[in-house]
Amino acid sequence: MAGPFVLDRASILDRLGGDEEIYSMMVDMFLDDVEANSAALASAFASGEATVVQREAHTIKGLLATFSDDDGAAEALAVEKKARAGDLARLGDAVGDLQRRLREVANALRAG
Amino acid sequence: MHTVLIIDDSDINLTLIKALVLKLGECSPVLFDNPLKALEWCRENEPDLVIVDYMMPEMDGLRFIGAFRALHGRDEIPVLMITANDQKDVRYEALLGGANDFLTKPIDRVEFSARARNMLSLRTGQKFLADRAKHLEKLVDERTSDIRQREKELIFRMSRAAEFRDPETGAHIQRMAHYSQIIARGLDLGPAMEKLILEAAPMHDVGKIGIPDYILLKPGKLTPEEFEVMKGHARIGYELLKDSGSEILRAGAEVALSHHEKYDGTGYPQGLKGGQIPQFGRIVAVADVFDALTSERPYKRAWSLDDACRFLEDGRGKHFDPMCVEAFLAGWEDVIEVRQRFRDEEIPQI
Repeated sequence: MAGPFVLDRASILDRLGGDEEIYSMMVDMFLDDVEANSAALASAFASGEATVVQREAHTIKGLLATFSDDDGAAEALAVEKKARAGDLARLGDAVGDLQRRLREVANALRAG
Repeated sequence: MHTVLIIDDSDINLTLIKALVLKLGECSPVLFDNPLKALEWCRENEPDLVIVDYMMPEMDGLRFIGAFRALHGRDEIPVLMITANDQKDVRYEALLGGANDFLTKPIDRVEFSARARNMLSLRTGQKFLADRAKHLEKLVDERTSDIRQREKELIFRMSRAAEFRDPETGAHIQRMAHYSQIIARGLDLGPAMEKLILEAAPMHDVGKIGIPDYILLKPGKLTPEEFEVMKGHARIGYELLKDSGSEILRAGAEVALSHHEKYDGTGYPQGLKGGQIPQFGRIVAVADVFDALTSERPYKRAWSLDDACRFLEDGRGKHFDPMCVEAFLAGWEDVIEVRQRFRDEEIPQI
């Protein structure tokens, strides 16, 4: 279980070369898409298609890493790896955790 | 302005990379969230840099790079592949499969800018070299063409020098050279050989330079001894032109030596027979005799075209190679056109 997400604005901005404009744009896009990304992961898991779960987890991993959420990205990577191995059997909890993590990050970004 | 193609199925990544590309300056990003559509675009357009994500539905980054590299002229365009930190094997595969470098996610602006700029510098260098190579090629073509033109002019003037000592004219040289070309075409020798004989045939009588005036310009019939001297012009022409570095002059040497050979072996200087006579010699023999017969000279009237044709036909297999006569007669419309174009009073350039 990942620890609570703490928004490290300075480190994200550092990675974006201090560009506030790009940072704001990234936050807006994340917030616009977060529900769709979460739903896409759940739907992929429900359909039992491991390759789609793997891809959606990969996308979420990228999104979380963009906001310096190393713990969340590690959770997504674990889901991605299990899906790649075709092992969806015990992924229900992990998928749920990942959806919660997305909402947590979104809330932190909104509070900003 | 550099065209940077960005392919990623994630909108947020496309937006981020686009923003970073615009920050580089002098770049115009082109975005695709679907690699197959990007590949279609690449068939008609040439990007200066490709930035492609690894994991995408329908076609992953590795397969995209393979397909992109297989397109014509796309083998050197720099490609950056975006991978996650944990995908070391993918990065190796990408480098082996045609990616020039990679970016790791999450994207870091400093790393992105440095790698993208390196790739764009590489592209600028490639374009500079390609432009320079094209420019040099054009320069060499122009210089070669100048030299060839000068070579042709010198050959024409040298041939004219020989003809000036003779009642024949510059127009005769042009006509017989073009008749030779018509025969070469009829024999299906190909454009390169047609051009070569057109340029070499004018040298057929260049050896007349070495014949004394009292024989060359004698108004009456030559004595057998004088005729023997006259026959020497074939070998003199050959000696003048042989062993040249120029293909045209070497062909000219062959024509000079062999244009008085006869198909039945009764010609001179070597008395060669049939296929022993070089093909250019057999061709020029027909062209030269036809023009001599149909031209007016101080000592003779011009033969009619019918009479000259009959002479050629009667000479098949005796004086002339039958196939050369046939090729000449088959190109009759062109023969008439050449006669019209190069009249004795005018001497147009080749």
